[in-house]
Amino acid sequence: MDTAMTQEELKEMLDGIVREVTEQTAGVTLFPGGELRGERLYTVYITFNRGFHTSLTLCSDEALLIRMARNALELKEPTSQELEDFCKEYFNILCGKIAAVLFRNTRIPARFSVPRLYEGRYMPEDHCTQFILTYADEYRDGVQLIHHVPRNREEGTLS
Amino acid sequence: MAKRVMVVDDSRMIFLQMKNMLEGTDYEAAAYCRDGEEAVAQYAQVAPDLVTMDIIMPGMDGLEAAQAILEEHPEAKIIMVSSLAYDDTFEEAKAIGAKGFIDKPFKKERLLEVLREVSEEV
Repeated sequence: MDTAMTQEELKEMLDGIVREVTEQTAGVTLFPGGELRGERLYTVYITFNRGFHTSLTLCSDEALLIRMARNALELKEPTSQELEDFCKEYFNILCGKIAAVLFRNTRIPARFSVPRLYEGRYMPEDHCTQFILTYADEYRDGVQLIHHVPRNREEGTLS
Repeated sequence: MAKRVMVVDDSRMIFLQMKNMLEGTDYEAAAYCRDGEEAVAQYAQVAPDLVTMDIIMPGMDGLEAAQAILEEHPEAKIIMVSSLAYDDTFEEAKAIGAKGFIDKPFKKERLLEVLREVSEEV
């Protein structure tokens, strides 16, 4: 993100928010580290606009998303539509919290696109990965929050 | 008689969540719109006592939809419901004429508190 924050500060901020929102909205505790099992993955994606021109994706094992949706929606077996709704809403809340913290730090009122859900891994076009935060839950299903920057800013700094 | 709430959110999950939370209270989730355009088109027909409005939605966003509804119906009581909870959004919502703001994720107590505050406002 084109912020006045260093990459380390940004990582720390995203780490705090992803863990807090996941606990709050889905009752799941995420532990840093681990890896994606990768058997069946979903990716949720947004692009920041109004001041920021970077993207965030959340790539997760399906089993973890289903567990989160079950807790959040109090459903035994969420349908694929319910799972999609949950994933988008969860990421919407996560990115809203990120925008709020960015505003407190930079006074730039960031907004973002409507979240989109993809089956498998998704990499936004013309972007490259700047950093990845990886987590696993108590069942060792994994999730990654990935920060993407436009390709032409690949070498740029965050200041 | 329960006050009728029109829920505007691209996530049906939020509508169902509100519907559950409002069961047995003085409010009912009486109508659901999936985006801003639908809310603007449906407002007069539904004639709700209150509207809860998401901000990030496909097409017309919640702030634009609130503005469009309030231009036609200045008496509309619209509450923004969003995770974009920071000064700039609060000010924008207030300037448009929104009566309240609920930060996502929300609990039943917070939802009822704001619905009460806004519905009792003269």
